[in-house]
Amino acid sequence: MIIYRLEISGSIYSWRGAAWIITAASIFSLVAYLLLTDKELSLLDQGEMLFTFSEVIIVLGLVMSGINSSSSISTEIEAGTFECLLLTPIKHVQIAIQKMLSTVTIWIVLYLISIPYLIVLANGTNLAISAILYVGLYGTLLSIAISTISIALSWMLKTSKNSIMVALMIVLLLSAPSLFFATSLRKTDFGIMLENINPFSHTINSLDSVLVDNQQAVYEQFTHIWPVLVFTIICSIIFLTFTRKFEVKML
Amino acid sequence: MYGISAIALEKTYGSFRAVDSLTFNVKSGDIFGLIGPNGAGKTTTMRMLCGTLSPTAGKTIVGGFDIAKESIKIKTIIGFLPESTGFYNWMNGEEYLYYFARLYNIKEPIARKNIRDLLDRVGLAAKAFAPIAYYSRGMKQRLALARAMINDPKILFLDEPTLGMDPRGQQEIQKMLLDLNHEKGVTIFLSSHALTDVSTFCNQIGILNRGRLIAHGSLNDLRKLVNGSTRILVRILNTQEAISKLSRSPFNNTIDKVTEESVDFIISDDNIEFNQLVDWIRKENFKLTELRQIKMNLDEIFLRLTNPTYDKHSTPVTIKKSPSPQVGQTPSK
Repeated sequence: MIIYRLEISGSIYSWRGAAWIITAASIFSLVAYLLLTDKELSLLDQGEMLFTFSEVIIVLGLVMSGINSSSSISTEIEAGTFECLLLTPIKHVQIAIQKMLSTVTIWIVLYLISIPYLIVLANGTNLAISAILYVGLYGTLLSIAISTISIALSWMLKTSKNSIMVALMIVLLLSAPSLFFATSLRKTDFGIMLENINPFSHTINSLDSVLVDNQQAVYEQFTHIWPVLVFTIICSIIFLTFTRKFEVKML
Repeated sequence: MYGISAIALEKTYGSFRAVDSLTFNVKSGDIFGLIGPNGAGKTTTMRMLCGTLSPTAGKTIVGGFDIAKESIKIKTIIGFLPESTGFYNWMNGEEYLYYFARLYNIKEPIARKNIRDLLDRVGLAAKAFAPIAYYSRGMKQRLALARAMINDPKILFLDEPTLGMDPRGQQEIQKMLLDLNHEKGVTIFLSSHALTDVSTFCNQIGILNRGRLIAHGSLNDLRKLVNGSTRILVRILNTQEAISKLSRSPFNNTIDKVTEESVDFIISDDNIEFNQLVDWIRKENFKLTELRQIKMNLDEIFLRLTNPTYDKHSTPVTIKKSPSPQVGQTPSK
């Protein structure tokens, strides 16, 4: 796990790592502050506040996972350090897995930072544990999915600029129906079809169901969990297929 | 045991054939120098031998292992210094080597000891704890070399090992590599454009041109191949008739240098007999001041073999008799 440790030391223990941690905490603080003090937002039901905050955590997690993992291989290729890694007696897929785990670790750190905010926002309700568990479950699955697909992209495209752009487009494509589509569009056949196949929509709908409609049992959310799980498995298969062998010919 | 074999190795990119039917053997303990013009396929060949690039066709056996089947085992016994290596510039030299030592699964106490030895060998002991970002080009090359040797390799692949180093640094690295070869029997496979270094350092030389190995052997074998083994430099005193007499010589000669005092000419003839030459010099009444055999150097062999008009399967290249210059005219070299 040497590569994993190097990645983590750069993203978490260094001052550069501290920069994103402080930024993430500031965003959470600002959103929580607005939810609790803004004239209109503070009128929201507590479940809806938690739901909005959970959306922010998941979207921030997805964006961070996408950017971090899509640049993890390509920056090494561009810096000329990747060929030396390939010369060591480590399987290529193991290099990719360690890079992927480091991104998931970043998500976990982000998630851990968000937990106190979830607890505060859920104060006085029975939603705190459900919010923590479901955000953790969906966030982790989506982080794995986005990390794996982004690393595969980074592996194929070999340039940071292109792989980051494509990864961000994938994140946008996943989140657009839930975040940006008007309710009327979401109720059309096309909108319904998109929601049914989109793992991010399932995540949002599930959090809505848990936090707003108070349907906290796992069996009640299973119809939302399995599409996210399938998406993660598909992304992992793509990841394992593309990262088995790396050729330096295009370096 | 730690030799290298390439059998009909090929690498194509679309219709471009970067390496074409490459077949050669490097014996265990040899120092093999691969030379060739830019774009000849040297780096591609090295990458295929190290397993970072898959061949389109052919087979490579490195240290007794087939690279297609046992690339991980090969990577434990080889070290490779690529032509351009990147660094984690925020690390210092010691941290960089320790990172790679751990990737080779070398235990910490052994790794620390090896790193100290290596940094000392490559002349970076004093800068071990300075960030790599502050290293010069030559220092980075030394560090890359230390990285290539971190796993105590049995076979060392070096692509332009002394690139960016000052002359003293080049000498030190060459000495270190020679010691490594003599003391530990490390097989060294290197590619370089420094042909003088290759000719003194390597006991086997391969010349690659447009993806094909056009020559392979010792320096003497290569000399024989280009039919340039016998050349004699003759220096005579410059007299009024000297140059006109030279133009009528029975030998294949080229005037090399004319000064007020002397005339140098080179005789290129494989079948020349020394007695015959001395007799002719006496007969023509030349005042001989120097007579010596010149061995063709690797630069000349390389230029001749990689000349687009040269075809070793047809007429071998010979030094042509130059047109006779007029008396008093200084021929251009």
